[in-house]
Order: sequence, then C-alpha cells, then structure tokens
Amino acid sequence: MSVARRFAANPAVLLLAPALLYLTVFYLVPLSFLLGRSFIGQAGLSLQPYAALLGDGFTWQVIGNTLRIASLVTLCAFLIGYPAAIALSRARGALQIVLLVSIILPLSVGIVVKAFAWQIVLGRGGVVGQFLVATGLFEEAPRLLFTEFGLVLGAANVFLPFMILPIYSVLNLMDPRLPEAAATLGASPVYRFTRVTLPLTLPGIIAGCAFVFSMSVSMYVIPSLLIGDRFQTLATLTGRSFLFLRDEQLGSTTAVVLLVLSVAIILSASALARRFGGVR
Amino acid sequence: MTKTIIMPNRRQFLAGSAAAAGTLAMPSILRAQTRELVVGGAASHREWVETIVIPNFEAKYDARILYEGTRSLVNLEKMQQNQAQQYLSVVQMDDPVMILAHEAGLLEPLSAETVPNMAKLKDGAVHLDGAWVNYLQPFQAIAYNEEALPNGIESWEELWDDSMAGRVVIPSLQNTEGVFPLFMAAALETGKPVAEAQYDIEAGFRKMQALKPNLLTIYTQMPQAFNLLETGEAWAIAGALSSFTMPRRAEGSPVNLAVPREGAFAAPSGVCVVRGGPNQDLAMAYVNELLSVELQNQLTAPTFSLPTNVEAATPSDLPENIEVLSVDWANVANNRADWVQRWDREMAI
Repeated sequence: MSVARRFAANPAVLLLAPALLYLTVFYLVPLSFLLGRSFIGQAGLSLQPYAALLGDGFTWQVIGNTLRIASLVTLCAFLIGYPAAIALSRARGALQIVLLVSIILPLSVGIVVKAFAWQIVLGRGGVVGQFLVATGLFEEAPRLLFTEFGLVLGAANVFLPFMILPIYSVLNLMDPRLPEAAATLGASPVYRFTRVTLPLTLPGIIAGCAFVFSMSVSMYVIPSLLIGDRFQTLATLTGRSFLFLRDEQLGSTTAVVLLVLSVAIILSASALARRFGGVR
Repeated sequence: MTKTIIMPNRRQFLAGSAAAAGTLAMPSILRAQTRELVVGGAASHREWVETIVIPNFEAKYDARILYEGTRSLVNLEKMQQNQAQQYLSVVQMDDPVMILAHEAGLLEPLSAETVPNMAKLKDGAVHLDGAWVNYLQPFQAIAYNEEALPNGIESWEELWDDSMAGRVVIPSLQNTEGVFPLFMAAALETGKPVAEAQYDIEAGFRKMQALKPNLLTIYTQMPQAFNLLETGEAWAIAGALSSFTMPRRAEGSPVNLAVPREGAFAAPSGVCVVRGGPNQDLAMAYVNELLSVELQNQLTAPTFSLPTNVEAATPSDLPENIEVLSVDWANVANNRADWVQRWDREMAI
C-alpha cells in the first residue's frame, strides 16, 4: 500500500508526521552529511579513509576495547537490573513508588556529579576500598579508581534505569498465573524461572540490553571522567578527531564505524532472540 | 456607552513625535559617544579582567569592554567563522593556538609604533615579528600534596620513583601543558637541556613509557586532577599552573607548587589584535595597557604570574630565581597532531 493510500485509509498515521519530520531534520540529514563526509575527502569520493582506519592494528585494539567495555557494562547492568525489575514488579503501594523514584530520580543527576561521587566511593579511602581491607582480603586498599573495573561499575550505575524499566514493563504485562500454573504441575523454582519467566521477559531484556549497549558503546564523558586519557574507545577517538585534530573526515569515518558496529550488534541480538522464540 | 477619542492637537503631535524619535535614536547616540571593544579570552581569566583590566582601561579611554570568556580553541573558531565580519577585536589565548590563528591570517601585526610598551618586554615575549605578545608569564611546574610529600619535590626525576606508583597525574597531550612533561622527559632521558631535548621526541616518549606504572590518570580537565590531589588520591600533578595551584593553596588546600631544580615552564599567555576587528586603534591601546608597568604590577599577584614587562616587579610571594624554560611553539604546532596519535598508541593502550 502506498504512503498516500495508507494516510487515506488511516488518518491517524498523520500523527507520525511531527516525529518523522523531527527525525528527518535532526537525525537523518546530519547523519547523511556525516556519511558523505566519511567518503568524500580532498581526493574526492574514496574508500581510502575506511581502508586506512581499518587497516591500522591500533583501530582494532580500540574497537576491541569499545566492545569489551560495552559488553561488560551491559552484563553488569543486566545482573543488577533484572532482580531489581522483578522486585519492582512485585512491590505494591508505597514501596513500589519508593522503588520507582529511586530508579528514575538518579537520571536527573548529571554525569559529572556522578563521576565525582564515584571518585569518592572508589578512592583508596572510599567505602569499597575500606570494606575490602576490613574483610582481610587486602592489606591496603587496592586501586579501583581509573581502572576498567571502576569504569564498568560507574557506567553500569549511570545506565541501570535503562535496563530496569523495559524489563519491568514486560514483567507487568506478563500473566502472573503462568509461573503459578507451572508450579502446580510440579516445576521447581529454577525450572519455572528458566522455562517460563525468563523466556517471557526476553523482549524486555533485549530492549534493555540494546539501550545499555548502544549507550555504552558510544559513551564519551563517562570514560573521560572515570578512567581518563589512558583508555581509548571509538567514541573518544571520534571526539578527538573533531575537537582536537580538527580532522572531520577521520572523525566521520570513526563515527560511522561506531554506528555500524552498534547497529549490527543490536540487530544480531534481536535476530538471536527471534531465533529462540523470545520475540513474537 | 459612548467612547471618547482624544485627538492630539498639532503641538502635542509634534512634541510626541520628537520624543519618539529621540527614544528610537538613543542607542545610536550612546554608541556614538562610547565605543565598544569585544575581548575574547579564557573563562578562568574573567575575574581579574573584569575587576582590574576593564576598570583601568575604561577610566583611561572613553570606551566600554565586553569580555567573552571561553577557551582558546573556541576563540580560534569564532575568529575563523567571522572572518568576513569580525566582532572580536582582541583575543587572549595560548601561544600554540596563536600559531594556528597566525597561519590562517587572522592576526593584525603589532609594532612598537602602535603598541609602545612592546619595547619593554622580556626576550621571547614577542612572537613571529609581533604577530602576538605574551602579557604575563604564569609558570608550570609540579603541584604536590603537602601531607603526602611534606619534603616537596626537588627534581622532575622523582616522578619516576617507585614510591610514586599510581600517584602521579599528568596532562593529556591534547592540553597545551601536556607537552611540558614530555619535553622534560626528553631532557631527563638525554641529559640535554630542555632547549635542545624538546626536539628529541623519541627520547621523550621512551621516558614517558617508563612513567606508566606511576600514573594514576592522564587528565584533560585540570579541576578534576586537582580534586584528586586535594583528596590525597594523587600526590603530584606534572605541568600544573602557578595561577591555578597557588589560589587553591591560599584557600587552604593542602597543595603546593614545587619548582624543581631543572626549572619550570613558561605558560604561554598571549594577546593579539584580530585582523579586521572593530576599533583597531582601541584594540592596540588595550594590548598596550596590558603590557604596561602599572597594570602588570597589579596583575602579577592575583594571577600568580611573572611579569613580561622588564620594569614590572615580581611579587614577593612567588619563588625567586625560577628558571623559566621556553618551548618552541612552532615546533609543537607542526608536530602535535602526530604526537597525539603516537601518545594514544603508546600511553593509552
């Protein structure tokens, strides 16, 4: 059906117009410029920028860094966020409101403030270091600040609401009688979780992981504040190319590589979920 | 109900028209009386510019100054974007960025005729035949935490000592001050003075690699680095500005600035006149005032900087006999992009 017929058949489609206009002007057009700039340089239209970037072993190290950290942040957010989403869906009344506010309110705190807070928490005199010394595992507080551990923990903290909320909304839609039905048939709690709850919440998990992964893979401010210039990702390379080296073509090329990687991984995750029957 | 319409008579109409015309014309009349000068500079300089420089200048000249505080690279961008119709007349920014502005043809040359106080400047404070000048010399050395290092730091070599493992913070090579530790590393590695060693960048990178076990982080934001120093997480920041460290100390922070025996680096505080900017004569006068003995005597203490005018006095609370090391900024400008890319490969991974 053509777009015009679709409009005629259902005028409600017109409600999409502002969103489509917004996305076209502020997303598609700049993205097209970026894409074009990555191919068109002083030598005209060429694949050379991509060949140079991807032919450099350093780029692959940076890509590895970027994907590893994004995966670890996503995993960390999932491990903390999934039980939190279940707790939120089961809570009622005032407790549910308190939990919801405690998840949503941190979104209003700036990343810079959070980064400084993590410096206090992860510093040698911070609670984590002191706790590790108190357990007797360490004689003196280990260095946690400006390490990959600190970065993963800090980023997972920032992105956690984006993991919890999609899972929570799917859990809310799930019929609570289904695990109960499995229980009446003799399914153990572990079996009920792995065969009923987990598959039914897969769309929420995929959405949460997609949100957190795509934000982690392109985060710029969090690494620069929590680990500094000793750690390079595709996003920091892109920022450096535009802001410091003033090399628009290099910046555009790294940005496009980053975008392609991000989209490819999210689409693959989605396809895998469909393959295993989690998404209908 | 009837409405009464009051019609003005001829006299009232003429009086009203004259008042309206006067009101509409007022801004241009005011503009004709007081000329404006827009000065670009660092956001962190706003306080001393607005409390010392501007009142002095406005009292002496019939002019009004608007100060736009931002960053050197942002100022360069403004100058480039407005090349056809500049609105900035004067810009205060770092020397490495001045080189880029000069290469882009954005600077109006200064001379002893238009800026008489140039004749009184120290050697090395006038660049590229007067493309720009240095109005002050804040210096950069090693800031340290006094509680962790009560004996201070006597040599740059101490940053490489095993006792400093995980306690040293250095600037990114993206930051202007990032080149200082690299050049000092080259000097320590080769045994040559900085004036020669700054061209032996291989030696510099070799020595910096050896510093990696001692690094806590490499910063791009100086306030963040100072936060680490003040909390005791870091013990030393290499390349820290006197004008940033000493005010913190004065406020009670347990930090101090060590000027090691090898010397400190002159921070590049430059001022230029924008080519094609409004009120060129006034812009030259602003630069001349900034270089004057009177103004430099007022500025050195609050900015914790050395004067560039040879007749101005060094404040008593600054360390004496500091060996201020100069850097060849043209060499930096030509090679910095390559160095940054190498830095990523050797220091960041």
